[in-house]
Amino acid sequence: MNPSASLPLLQNALTVGAILFSLGLVGILARRNLIVMFLAAEMMLQGISVSLVAWSRYHGDWGGHVLVIFVLTVAACEAAVALVFVLQAFSRTGRLDAAAWQSLREANVPRTVDHELPPIDTVPPRFPTLTPAGVLPPEDEDARLERDHV
Amino acid sequence: MNGFDPFSPGGLLAAGVVAAAASLRLLLPSGGESRSLRWLGGLLGLAALAAFIATGRRLGGLGEEAVFLIVSLVAIVSAAATVVSRSPVYAAIWFALCLAGVAGVLLVLGAQFLGVATIVVYAGAILVMFLFVLMLAQPAGLAPYDRVSNEPLLAALAGAVLLGVLSLSIGRLSASPSACCGLPSRTGPAAATAPAPAVTDADPLAADHVARLGGELFGRHLIAVEAAGVLLLVALVGAIAVVARGEQARAAAAADARAAGRSLSR
Repeated sequence: MNPSASLPLLQNALTVGAILFSLGLVGILARRNLIVMFLAAEMMLQGISVSLVAWSRYHGDWGGHVLVIFVLTVAACEAAVALVFVLQAFSRTGRLDAAAWQSLREANVPRTVDHELPPIDTVPPRFPTLTPAGVLPPEDEDARLERDHV
Repeated sequence: MNGFDPFSPGGLLAAGVVAAAASLRLLLPSGGESRSLRWLGGLLGLAALAAFIATGRRLGGLGEEAVFLIVSLVAIVSAAATVVSRSPVYAAIWFALCLAGVAGVLLVLGAQFLGVATIVVYAGAILVMFLFVLMLAQPAGLAPYDRVSNEPLLAALAGAVLLGVLSLSIGRLSASPSACCGLPSRTGPAAATAPAPAVTDADPLAADHVARLGGELFGRHLIAVEAAGVLLLVALVGAIAVVARGEQARAAAAADARAAGRSLSR
């Protein structure tokens, strides 16, 4: 154990890792969009990384750091391969929906049916606008011609 | 026998976990929701965060505490926003912010190389790939499957149970690591028989942190590094192969459809 090891820091960091992991679990269980499910899985990996580094700091050992580097590597490979599968699935069904593949479910699982879809938010998104400042300057013929060439 | 004290650490933890579950249930996209319920969910989430902050351990220095609090709050709040946001593009961008928070936590923990690598590899490469796929595949507007969830109540409960169990076991950690985990101590018999690693003094806070990490990585874990390189190559070739096979299959299907159409018209 190295002298800089401190139990409170370890516990706090492990709590952060646990919260990230749980949020990722909720996301992967609840969401239907394949890409959001994938982001949730990556979030679980982040929670694991935080926990590994915290233990590494506590024990004064490089094992956690090395393992996180390999987690990064495997996550990159996994993202590449899985995104290809997601794209293939999208080109077959036209949807990024996990329920589009529910014919693969087990025999005793009921079918997912969407009833009472919530309405789309009626509030339109607000985009930033520029306030007009001063009067519109008189248009210069030369400038207009130059602008057409741009 | 004392009664239930809501301000004991255990009570705060339980309240935080329950509030987090309720907040996720209200915030997750699901049928028949209203704007006020979503506000209530956000407030409950803030309450859960406050409970978890109150159960957090004191770190000693005020500066260290403040920095850790800020970066972990950024990570957790943006992680929750990733999970509950309707639009997958917003989810990806919230996830980028979550990665920034996680990198901050890693930096506080003394992992300089990993903090920077998280930003570079995740936010710089993986997330951009996600956004590319989203732009390729996302239909205009919010798709119906982005506005509903699979069993939001059960999912939130599962997450809360996992979080509660993990927090309980984290709270019970004691400062005798070699007794609880059976780790080989550096002075024990295992250290005497094992071959000395290339880097003996493993202090993550040393000045030459990256050099020591590199020595460890390419010393003790050289075979694993080579295997990771092979894995990257295999993933690359595999991804391209899947795309090529998919194109072939689609072309064959189109040809079949054309032939069938011709035979029908004939």
